[in-house]
Amino acid sequence: MRIEDSEQAEEAVSLAQQAEWQDITPIEQDEGEGSMCPIAYTDEYRELMGYLRAVMAVGEVSERALALTARVIEENPGHYTVWVYRKRLVEELESDIAKELDWVSEISSKFPKNYQLWHHRESLVTRLWAPSNAQSVSEDQRVTNPVLRRELQFLGAAIDEDSKNFHAWSYRQWLISTYALWTQELVFVDTMINQDVRNNSAWNQRYFAILANRDPSAVHFEADMAKSEIEYVVEHIKLAPNNDSPWSYVTGLLLRHAPSMLYTDLLPRIKQLAADNAYQAAMTLTPFYWSALLDIYEQQAADHPDTKKQLVEESRAICDQLASETDIIHCRYWNFRKTSLDTC
Amino acid sequence: MSYLFSYDYRYDDNAYDTETSNKQVDVEDSIGQIYVKYVEPGTAQYGGIFDDTMLRLHRTKHEQFVRDAMHGLSSGFAVLDASQPWLSFWSLNSLDIMGRTIDSTTRTQALQTVQRFQDQRGGFCGGQGQLPHLAGTYASVMALVLVGGDDAFASINRERMYEWLMTMKCEDGAFAVHEGGEVDVRGVYCVLVVASLLNIMTAELVSGVAEFVARCQTCEGGLGPYPGVEAHGGYTLCGLAALEIIGSTHVLDLKRLARWMSARQMAFEGGFSGRTNKLVDGCYSYWVGGAFSILQRALSRTPQDDMLYERRALQRYVLACCQDMRIGGLRDKPGKSADLYHTMYGLLGLSLAQHYVGVDPQTRITDTTSVYSVPARMMQWDVVTSAADVVGVSSNVVKPVHPVYGVSLVPLAKCIKYFYALPPLAPSL
Repeated sequence: MRIEDSEQAEEAVSLAQQAEWQDITPIEQDEGEGSMCPIAYTDEYRELMGYLRAVMAVGEVSERALALTARVIEENPGHYTVWVYRKRLVEELESDIAKELDWVSEISSKFPKNYQLWHHRESLVTRLWAPSNAQSVSEDQRVTNPVLRRELQFLGAAIDEDSKNFHAWSYRQWLISTYALWTQELVFVDTMINQDVRNNSAWNQRYFAILANRDPSAVHFEADMAKSEIEYVVEHIKLAPNNDSPWSYVTGLLLRHAPSMLYTDLLPRIKQLAADNAYQAAMTLTPFYWSALLDIYEQQAADHPDTKKQLVEESRAICDQLASETDIIHCRYWNFRKTSLDTC
Repeated sequence: MSYLFSYDYRYDDNAYDTETSNKQVDVEDSIGQIYVKYVEPGTAQYGGIFDDTMLRLHRTKHEQFVRDAMHGLSSGFAVLDASQPWLSFWSLNSLDIMGRTIDSTTRTQALQTVQRFQDQRGGFCGGQGQLPHLAGTYASVMALVLVGGDDAFASINRERMYEWLMTMKCEDGAFAVHEGGEVDVRGVYCVLVVASLLNIMTAELVSGVAEFVARCQTCEGGLGPYPGVEAHGGYTLCGLAALEIIGSTHVLDLKRLARWMSARQMAFEGGFSGRTNKLVDGCYSYWVGGAFSILQRALSRTPQDDMLYERRALQRYVLACCQDMRIGGLRDKPGKSADLYHTMYGLLGLSLAQHYVGVDPQTRITDTTSVYSVPARMMQWDVVTSAADVVGVSSNVVKPVHPVYGVSLVPLAKCIKYFYALPPLAPSL
């Protein structure tokens, strides 16, 4: 019998009237006269919680406790304590983990922004396929493993539903780093960026995929790698220059991992774009182009002090223009940027 | 220069629309319809001046909304059954910021309610019979700060609290939010706030914290919950505030952070978004606004130096767009309903934009080695009245708040005074 069916049958009868639960005395919440923000629980919820507290208090491990946790979670998936209890029950009862994942997936559609659901998945997935076992096969084989294929599918669906679901992307990072699925991730990221070039979660994921768990402070990009990222970014800037994501991505990436390429490679490419008739108007109007120039000039001046005076002058002019015309809302920041130039 | 209203400030999608830009345009449409009512007719297109005198904080309505909630919440709130301390904190703090009294009956109610969440083994839970949780602990302690009084403070078991906090400590310096729970920078913030207020800071507790928080900074400049995850306003405040408590904001790339933070202010709406290319939301008025106050100190800026965001535009967003005139309370944005969370955070953000709460760079204390340096540094934050800038009618002014703790200064000072008269668990950090 599917868990759902039996639960629906049980829902009609309160726990207090069920023979199976006769041995348990529910533990009520102390809701004295002076309660602040008391919640007017439904009788059903109140009863479920009373029984839950009772079985948790004695640490009961049983199928009926497991079924009870499912009911509580469906009423209140944010109840982190019941999730901890359920995890323990699933382990000690040696429940079918694949079926448990089925159940988690089912309720996820009702509660897409719930954290606990995703966290619960992590423990189930690692039990189904230990990361240490996964290491012994190639990435291609890992990706086709039923457990991971299912997770990637589930994630794909969640992100399809809400392309910036913070929990989904965060869980995805956990999955990709735990099972080293770096190559397929770059492909996924590219798909998402092409779907919506303004999806910043996707751009953040791109950096994550490229870094591939290496310590950022220890990574220096080869020229080829940096150049190809610059090309990728420029192609996407062309679609809509007034888009923060690619600009932040490329300046951030280069600042950390190939700073000199900011002015040797990125600078000529964006200047070229700004000079191109097709893009000139859009490039001139977007604050992100000018902001990138500031970042580039700052690095260039630091690396080549002989050019500093001229670059600082140009940068000052850019700050003034941003503060007074192109990006007025942020004028106080641009003024700060301008004064910082003198102290570089 | 005063910021004008203009349709020119609307998002330019470069005639290439995607889901992101379409959503942004929709929000701007609804905000524009509201703002245009405050601008002299016929001037909106070219730079109309906002008539701020029309902006009024409807305190009475919001107070009613909060008091009704304190009296009782409908069955639908069962989804917040594991966040009960928050309900009390959001309510009490909203009233306090608006300068409303918390009378002795309310005080007793709050004290009794919150005490029931304290766990014998240490910490506070989301509700009775639940596991202790860092967020529930944070909210409970802050609620008790607002309740005030020796009886409230004495009810917290410091020793058990410390033991429990240490069981949440992870190898990488961060903390799990509950036994078997998630690890993120929010947990770090909760621990440091609670430990710094209760005088239970130790070197052991804070070891690795600065390093962990630094790793949460992304290449965009903001902070995410965990290394690698997207930069987000809430987690940025958590990380920056935690670092401020231990005097270590310098571990971050502050320049890159400033850039990302600045970009959070939306040109047309005036309010803040939480992430790049996402929508404005009233709650970020605190998460990002508070971060700006802390950044001001981290950059050693003075009250004569502007805050690095447009304070007036932020206040306009909160007052014109976030007040729910139907049910009272404050909300995310027009079209959304008010709730206690957005009410508190909207008011906090309003306060931080109205007042200048900062630290004088000339006299600031830089010692971070003694546990006593913590309260000394935290209490250096003070209101600089000459730098106040209240938008709208003068009665809009709300109480100044501490950007790190998110509560007003007097209750905070009383709490610190109480706990630092007690012996610390260890003399140094």
